[in-house]
Amino acid sequence: MSEQRGGGGCGPMDRRQVLRMIAGGGGLLLVGCYPRGKGPEAAEHYWGYAVDTTRCIGCCACMRACRAENDVPRGSYRTWVERYRIAADGEVSVDVALDDDHVFAPVSTPSVKALFVPKLCNHCEKSVCSQVCPVGATYRTADGVVLVDHKHCVGCGYCVQACPYGTRFINPVDHTADKCTLCYHRITRGLQPACVQACPKQARIFGDLKDPRSSINTILRQRRYRLLRPDLGTHPKCYYIGLDREVV
Amino acid sequence: MPAAPSYRHSYRLFALVGLGLVVAVVVRGLLVPPSFGEQGHFRAAAVAEARAREPRHLGKARCATCHKKQAVLHEKDTHATVECENCHGAGREHVKSAGKVKLAVPRGAASCLACHQRLDARVSSFAQIDRAEHFRLVGVKDASTSCTTCHSPHEPLFLDRSLRESRLHPLIHRCRDCHAGPARDASLPRPANHPAIFECGYCHASIVKDFAARKHHRVGCTTCHLFIKESDYAGRIVRDADPRFCLLCHRGGSFRAEHAPPSVEWPKHREEMGGEPDQRCIDCHQDKIHLRPASATQPASAPSEKQP
Repeated sequence: MSEQRGGGGCGPMDRRQVLRMIAGGGGLLLVGCYPRGKGPEAAEHYWGYAVDTTRCIGCCACMRACRAENDVPRGSYRTWVERYRIAADGEVSVDVALDDDHVFAPVSTPSVKALFVPKLCNHCEKSVCSQVCPVGATYRTADGVVLVDHKHCVGCGYCVQACPYGTRFINPVDHTADKCTLCYHRITRGLQPACVQACPKQARIFGDLKDPRSSINTILRQRRYRLLRPDLGTHPKCYYIGLDREVV
Repeated sequence: MPAAPSYRHSYRLFALVGLGLVVAVVVRGLLVPPSFGEQGHFRAAAVAEARAREPRHLGKARCATCHKKQAVLHEKDTHATVECENCHGAGREHVKSAGKVKLAVPRGAASCLACHQRLDARVSSFAQIDRAEHFRLVGVKDASTSCTTCHSPHEPLFLDRSLRESRLHPLIHRCRDCHAGPARDASLPRPANHPAIFECGYCHASIVKDFAARKHHRVGCTTCHLFIKESDYAGRIVRDADPRFCLLCHRGGSFRAEHAPPSVEWPKHREEMGGEPDQRCIDCHQDKIHLRPASATQPASAPSEKQP
């Protein structure tokens, strides 16, 4: 009998010992099954993103480029540009150019301050979306990009609800979760993401946080930046320069 | 206490647990995809799949390998930072088919106004227009005129088609301002030498000579005559000499260096001197800049001096 052998010759086991043995065995099994992957330190790069809101002119070239590069269906957005308008009484209104061409129209109501804020996935270091995914279809790569495994995703939408930045959506074509990939197919070939390349004012900056001489590290040394919702502890890697109180 | 306890009652339990374990291992093997867990709690092969897609935007360097002429022009003008593919669309299919798949050539105003429509949220230093107002100011009567009638998207600061070809600077409006009359004036530079006309003195010799002797001689012509920060019309000549423009350099402030231009407080300075509310800096200080060109009082058209 196994339990007799397991008992180490100490005579018959009582129920407590059997339960202990089962719990211990189960624990060992769990530890054995735990995935041991490479941490972020294993990768050559660690990608980061910066947005200089003071340079953005709201042309939405980024949105058009993203749609063309990644086949983003109409009505869904992996990146978008928000227009904040602050009225004299302090009321803040936000709108996005959601028409097919993504062109902002002039607004007749006066504003004391107005600004554009491009938004996209923050590729958080402690990403909420990948933690809530029940099937492990959302993950962080070793170089710091949060991706979706479209073949494995069951489309439950937990991650869409969990993302505090609203950057995820269920793709209406294949019914799986979809989001910004930082153009993973481009950056791994040494290219810039489509939105960064398309930006005519260099309001979007992409680069390697591990390389001290990269453009993103240079700008993060020189400029003052903020993060979106830093209080949530998600450690976003999308750094915003010139962000207003109304936006954070 | 019984001497020989029987464990028969637990055989079934352990058999069930064992069976459960076997089923769990088999089901896990079937359900968990291969390569899952190799790099973390995800399918490692998915990373390679995400990489496998082909880029569609190739970048203007790739465009320039075939479209050399356009690329050279484009590189020189203010649209140099705009990717070709922003207007013409992603170029992969075009390149793959060796040019058989044509790219879009947008001609309507909409694609220009995506960037250049005047909006309160746009940075004020960026060139932006209200179309109706722009047409009124530059005297365009036909409201259906497209932007590309005057502006080449590849070199938007060169306003006129004939000018673009002759490589004149953008502030002169028409070729015939210099090349008037049926007979060619031998004293004028030939078109091949036109880049020399970028030297302002070629046409405005007396003004440039006069300017060199005055206080502002270190300031380049184009500092005042090309760019007005507070105006929507970057590229327009400063004809109305808005005092705010002078104050961009002459406003006192804690960041001024020692050799900075003399600073004034405006409108205090004007009030102290007893000036009218609409008095401009230039009304008193013209002598610090240069001779007033004869054309300054005329409508914006021709440069006043044609002879070098």
